[in-house]
This record gives sequence, C-alpha cells and structure tokens, in this order.
Amino acid sequence: MWIALVITHGLLAFLLLGAVTHQVVSVWVPVRAGAANFVSRFRAVGSANYANAIIALYLVTAALGAFIYTNYRITARLTLEQGHFWKSFGAFEIKEHLIAIGLALLPAYWYFWRQPLDENDALTRKALTALLAFIVWWAFLAGHIANNIRGLGT
Amino acid sequence: MSAASKHPGLRNSPRFRVFVITFAAVYAVAYYIALRNNWPVFSYGPAVGEWTLFNHSASDGPTMYWYGWIATSAIVAAVLGLIAAFLPQGLGRKLWSCLAWAVPVCMIAAIMYLLSGYFTH
Repeated sequence: MWIALVITHGLLAFLLLGAVTHQVVSVWVPVRAGAANFVSRFRAVGSANYANAIIALYLVTAALGAFIYTNYRITARLTLEQGHFWKSFGAFEIKEHLIAIGLALLPAYWYFWRQPLDENDALTRKALTALLAFIVWWAFLAGHIANNIRGLGT
Repeated sequence: MSAASKHPGLRNSPRFRVFVITFAAVYAVAYYIALRNNWPVFSYGPAVGEWTLFNHSASDGPTMYWYGWIATSAIVAAVLGLIAAFLPQGLGRKLWSCLAWAVPVCMIAAIMYLLSGYFTH
C-alpha cells in the first residue's frame, strides 16, 4: 500500500510542480504579444486560471504526504541516518517545514489571486507565487532524492 | 446600492484581507518558535500509533512533533488573525500586504540556518 501511496504522492506533486511553474513563469516573465514558440507559449498561459488548481493540488499532495510521513519516519528516515546521508536528510527536514509554512500561505495566495486582480497587489501576488513555487520545487527534489536513496520496497 | 455591493462576500472583505496577511505572517513566526522550542499541541508515535497531548515521547519508537507544531502555529495564527481582522478598519488598512510573504521568507531563512548543521556534517 505504501508504495502505491508514494507513487500517487509523486504524481500529484508532479502535477503541482507543472502548474505552479507555469504560473510563476507567466507572472514574472509574461508574454504580451502573440506566442510564437514553445517558450513563449509556456510563458503565455493565463496565470489566474491556475490558482484554484494549485491550492487543491497543494492540499491533496500535502495531506497524502503527511500520511505517508508516518511510514517514512520509521523506515526511510532510518536508512538516511544509518547511511549518513546528512545533506539529503537535512534537505528532507527542511522540506517538512517548508510544506508546513506553505500551507499557511494558501489563504493569502487565494485572496490575492481573486478576480478581478487588483494591480495594487501585483507584487504580493508575484512574491507569494514565487515562494510557493520555491517550496514545491524544494519539496519535490528533496522527496525525490530521499526516495532514490531508500528505493521502493526495500 | 445593490445587495452585492453591500455584501461583497468573504473574499472581498477588508477584514478577510487583514486576516490572511496576519495569518500567513504570524503562522510563520509561531512555527519557527514552536519548532525551536519543541512546543507541539500533540505528539504522535508512528511505531505504536500513539497520540499524546503536548510534548510527550512515544512509549516505543520515534516520536513525531511535526503535526503538533503545525497545530500550534495554526491556532496562534488563527486567534491573532481574527483579533487583527476585527480591529478598527483604519488600522487594518495600514497592514502592509508584503508581510504575507516577507515574514515567511525570513522564517524560512531562519529555519534553514537552524538546520544548516546537516549540510556541514
């Protein structure tokens, strides 16, 4: 069961990573004219449309991760400790705290992405999006590295 | 004045704006303090499936405090957020929206510093 949950958690995280990366790129380097190539089209997505999906994905992925964490604590974490993978261990510890702080950003993120967008709050909106993107990227990479060290079903 | 403009809804309410900014900022600070001092509302022993109030080691195996730190921070942030939201509206309008991300950024930096030993081990 744990392997299926870890894979599902990884897939949800991957969807979240794609959504938040699209949004952060489109909000920091938006394309004003017609999109001509792949990079321009990537930047030209309607960033406001992603907000609710990102919140839902963040909540579901974090909830699943919080459940899997109980198993990590008595299995994979011991592997990291016994193998002296301290950098990976530390990165995963930071991941936990980033995810926890990211949860509390969601109400503000939801508020500042409400339609119609208030231009007075553009900086806050961009910064919250970038911070969430940083958290999601860190969590994805730290989780991926820990999973690679531990392996599935070992 | 239409009914919609009289009742803009939660999402467009100035009080909600104050709440979300305060919640994000206070939660980050409270989380750092809860982590630093190990002040969870509850603890969990995953090996024995044991929940205990506040900071108590599990009867066997490791103890998890992470859920408890989140609960501690959420309670503190919700209470202070509600207090701030119901302060006179003039005070609320002065609340700088950048606090919603600037304070969490500072707290993330502080947490990284706190755990930097893992990277110099």
